Amino acid sequence: MDPRTTEVSQLFERFKAAILRKDFDTCTKLLSQLKIALTGFKSLPPSFEKTPNAVHELTLARDIYEHAVVLSVKIEDQDAFERHFFQLKPYYTDASGRLPPSPQEYPILGLNLLRLLVQNRIAEFHTELELLSASALENPCIKHAVELEQSFMEGAYNRVLTARQTVPHETYVYFMDLLAKTVRDEIAGCSEKAYDSLSVNDARQMLLYSSDKEVVEYIKEEHPEWEIKNGFVFFQRAKESVPCKEIPSLQLINQTLSYARELERIV
Amino acid sequence: MAEAPQPKLSSACGLLAQLKENHPVLKLHALTHLNVFVDYFWPEIADSIPVIESLYEDEDYGQRELAALLLSKVFLYLGELNDSLSYALGAGPLFDVSEDSDYVRTLLAKAIDKYANLRTKAAETNDNSTVIDPRMEAIVERMLDKSTTDGKYRQTIGVAIECRRLDKLEEAVVRSDNVHSTITYCIDVCHSFVKQREYRREILRLMVKIYQQLPSPDYLIMCQHLMFLDEPDGVASILQELLRSENIDDALLAFQIAFDLVENENPAFLLNVRDLLPSPKTQPSEPAQVSESAQPDSAETEIALTTEDAQITDVNQADESTAYTDLLEAVYAKRLTKIRGILDEETSIQLTLQFLHSHNKSDLLILKTIKHCVVTRDKVCHTATVFANAIMHAGTAVDTFMRENMDWLTRAIDWAKFSAIAGLGVINRGHLQQGRSLMAPYLPQGGGDGGSRYLEGGALYGLGLIHANHGKGITPFLLETLRRTNTEVIQHGACLGLGLAALGTSDEEVIEELNNVLYTDSAVASQAAGISLGLVMVGTATMQAGFMFAYAHDTQHEKIIRSLAFGIALTVYGREEEADTLIEKMTSDQDPVLRYGGMYALALAYRGTSNNKAIRQLLHFAVSDASDDVRRTAVLALGFVLYSDPEQCPRTVSLLSTSYNAHMRYGAALAVGIACAGTGLSEAISLLEPLTSDLVEFVRQGALIAMAMVMVQISEASDARAGAFRLQLRKIIMDSQEDNMSVMGAILASGILDAGGRNVTIKLRSKTRHDKMTAIVGLAVFSQYWFWHPLIYFISLAFSPTALIGLNYDLKIPKFTFVSQAKPSLFEYPKPTTVPSTVFTFQMPTAILSTSLRDKIRALQKEAERQAEEMKARKKLTGRQAGKLREAIRDRNRQAERQAWRRMDRKKLVEKLADNIMAANKKAEAEKAETSPGKGKLIIKDGDSKQVDSNAVEKTAPEPSYEILTNPARPSSLTDMSGGSAPGQWGPATATHVAEEPAPPPPFEHSS
Repeated sequence: MDPRTTEVSQLFERFKAAILRKDFDTCTKLLSQLKIALTGFKSLPPSFEKTPNAVHELTLARDIYEHAVVLSVKIEDQDAFERHFFQLKPYYTDASGRLPPSPQEYPILGLNLLRLLVQNRIAEFHTELELLSASALENPCIKHAVELEQSFMEGAYNRVLTARQTVPHETYVYFMDLLAKTVRDEIAGCSEKAYDSLSVNDARQMLLYSSDKEVVEYIKEEHPEWEIKNGFVFFQRAKESVPCKEIPSLQLINQTLSYARELERIV
Repeated sequence: MAEAPQPKLSSACGLLAQLKENHPVLKLHALTHLNVFVDYFWPEIADSIPVIESLYEDEDYGQRELAALLLSKVFLYLGELNDSLSYALGAGPLFDVSEDSDYVRTLLAKAIDKYANLRTKAAETNDNSTVIDPRMEAIVERMLDKSTTDGKYRQTIGVAIECRRLDKLEEAVVRSDNVHSTITYCIDVCHSFVKQREYRREILRLMVKIYQQLPSPDYLIMCQHLMFLDEPDGVASILQELLRSENIDDALLAFQIAFDLVENENPAFLLNVRDLLPSPKTQPSEPAQVSESAQPDSAETEIALTTEDAQITDVNQADESTAYTDLLEAVYAKRLTKIRGILDEETSIQLTLQFLHSHNKSDLLILKTIKHCVVTRDKVCHTATVFANAIMHAGTAVDTFMRENMDWLTRAIDWAKFSAIAGLGVINRGHLQQGRSLMAPYLPQGGGDGGSRYLEGGALYGLGLIHANHGKGITPFLLETLRRTNTEVIQHGACLGLGLAALGTSDEEVIEELNNVLYTDSAVASQAAGISLGLVMVGTATMQAGFMFAYAHDTQHEKIIRSLAFGIALTVYGREEEADTLIEKMTSDQDPVLRYGGMYALALAYRGTSNNKAIRQLLHFAVSDASDDVRRTAVLALGFVLYSDPEQCPRTVSLLSTSYNAHMRYGAALAVGIACAGTGLSEAISLLEPLTSDLVEFVRQGALIAMAMVMVQISEASDARAGAFRLQLRKIIMDSQEDNMSVMGAILASGILDAGGRNVTIKLRSKTRHDKMTAIVGLAVFSQYWFWHPLIYFISLAFSPTALIGLNYDLKIPKFTFVSQAKPSLFEYPKPTTVPSTVFTFQMPTAILSTSLRDKIRALQKEAERQAEEMKARKKLTGRQAGKLREAIRDRNRQAERQAWRRMDRKKLVEKLADNIMAANKKAEAEKAETSPGKGKLIIKDGDSKQVDSNAVEKTAPEPSYEILTNPARPSSLTDMSGGSAPGQWGPATATHVAEEPAPPPPFEHSS
């Protein structure tokens, strides 16, 4: 076995141990080293050179990135998640012919879908979905995300929130929490458009909070422009309707006149 | 960088994600790979441009150049060439000029473009503050050096010219394998693509400099360029050197150079060259000195007074009376006399006169027909007939028609009389020696009675036409006459005459006298003075234009304003950008007449340049000006700007020719007529055809004239429409329903179509592609006939004879023949019109008038007979097209070949001649009946090889084709004839079919 591969494997072992210890600082450091080490392998994307150890190296690299994705969920770093996921993706899409499929593939794809849902990037969500095969859609991890999206779109927010209890994978919890907030933002946005004011009680029910205090806190944090008065929440919408558009009469007259002039010049 | 491999990736998002990693090693990894795959993944990368840009802008980041390269490529794909270029420059050494990829090629082109742009802008504004990115400069230089070392000299030349890098240009030219052809190429490029006059001159100057450094310079071409640069001293010193050479070939070369220079019609320049040629050295003895100083004067006067023969005797005299230091000097003196004769254009004028006279093929029947038809018509048509006669016989000295119809002519009164007499000048154009005696009967005599003032004015104008461009001898007389008279009409004639005679000389005395007339503020006289001022100062861009402009504002007479406006336009002839301020001033004037002048200024300043700016401006005025005059002129002016590229003109004005505005249509017609004059261009004819039957009479007039200009000397064989057009003209002239205007157009068109005895064409460029100033100015003034009919005669300045004339060392015409492989019908003269058809139209009315039934029937029968007869005649006309083989050819299309032949080294030519003689003799016989027009190769067949020896200098007129047979007796007989002897003596000569073997030339002696 290639000494470099061995070295990376050993490093990876230490990384995995660190994850188990939940020693995330060490993890990040090790991960960084691992990624740099991976750039040295020619068999990895984007080169895909056919080296004798290609399969082993690819598997190792894929493992590392899968762990990296999981790690970024654990340290709740969405950017890192995205970065790692994209770097991992070629291993699923382009290296599928060379490698046995990874058991982690669907959970991670599902995670990514969930992330897109959380970030409200619905278009990308559907793009990703289209790339998956029909059998993949049957996978509980993917199915979970798809169902969530459907509920989300229908406005069945309660179902979204209750789905937290039925997560297929423990890493999903983080995103489910975030999703709850996304849902709340949606509801708040809608209420703002729909009502002039709401009683705090109604607002609490609407926003799916268990206590008024939480409602007040949420409003303070996210919507400082709302006003709470006499047990009512006033949505200070920009009430002034946009005045009907003025007709640019002068401009139009000028234009017409110049057309007429040009017409005269036409030979 | 190697061609990017087909990626095994389906998306670059992984790499892009890596780019956002913190560690530089990962970024580098991502950048490197993205760079490889950019051709496939640029759409994805484009989304991440900000990230990459931030990498590039990060001063501390070590891989900025790589990032720049990547960005550059992405921007290239996005079509943002400017951004792409600036990042490529940022990429520094990573941007590899020698890489053979679309990316590099595109960017290099862009870089060169931009560099050329900046350089041009910097040069134009004289602004040195524009700092050109040194990186870009380095890239361009690297490119230039590379193509030079690769042997792609033409590429280098093109780029170097565009980038205004004369240093690189010189290097490329000097290093090229064939310097001569490279220079020729370079000059072609420079004439056709360099639009700035100053810069073009710079390039030419450089070329001349390179020429001078060559071991065996091509003096012919070099002198052409020196002329373009207006550097007479250079030409003079070359000529002197050649003349002093012991090798006779060099002297011949000098003569050839002189002839070529003459052809470009730049009299002022020729005069300078002539004066700069040093006189031969004489022995320092006292009497010799005297005789030497006296010699040139006496020689001149003698030449002026006597005929060509005098020139020879003159030389002999010089030999006898002057004791030259040695034999060489004597030879030089002899040669000098000859070359002075050539530079004075006397030689060539003599030759063309002989040619035009002896080969005059004009058809008097056409004129007679016209004359009969216009009897019942307006005076305008009468005058037009006089014009047509003059044009038909321009330069031929054949005035049979005038003599035979004296009583008819005398019906002309006032200005018509003026024109009739001036017409004599056109007919006798070039008769410098006898001009004055010819006109003598009509010239103002001391007393001068009022009745003949139109005659006298016309005679003065005629004198000017005779001496157009060579007025050295006549100017003093005209000046004197002008000073003596107070009659407006005579002043008018004298002013026009002076303008013609002193064309382009900027003679101060003439200018002063013209100014005096101008400030009399008399509509008639000042009008002529205005135009003539322009003629005298043509192309000088003088301060005088300012005074003229001011006076144009002062005067009340529109005629004067118009002539001044036109005169101002003439002064900026050929000045291109230099004229812009003046043009701007004129075109933005309140007075439409001045704007009209502005159009002419644009036309003349940018003559033959196809300058886009000028075209744009003219088109703008053509559609936006309020005055029809201005609009018409603007369209017409396009013809002058575009004549260097005749194909372009019909395309440019085709839309305007269908304008609702009749003036525009007229302008479009004339523009095509001017730009495509003498080309017979099919598109031009197609454009003009519908206009000849336009609804508006003056459009028809213009279209007919333009059509004649395009079709001059086009035979039916080269374009069948030529015959149809002749028939159309005749129909219009005979049709009593036709409007006077269009009949006038048709009459003039007939004249132009058969101009100069069917032996001239209208040419605005010499065969070396120099603009023929006289011709252009002539046409420009001609186009003013709209306002003043006598100006029609100016068209004669644009005529150039179509002849191939060979000369030997003694400037005599040796006997020589050559074989043309073109079909003879291609150059055939049109068949003379037949009598019956003309008689028919005049008898018909009487037949109809008869009342008795029997008579009627008889008349009808007669008519039927006549019709049948006419049909027969017409059939005959077309049936005879195949024609007999003629030895003489008129070969427009083969001009190029002939040029090549002419340029050929003389020695080679002689060798080739010898080789060809045998072959050609056989071939000529074999191919006499069947010749293939496609090849168009000229072979010299020589009957008497002793005579066409290395002594022969070939002098070809731009257009082909006749042998000229010298007849030393002719000049004197010309004088006789004009003195009143029967012109019939020349009848047989002109009628002789060329197929007959021409009489051998008289023997000539070598004077040495």
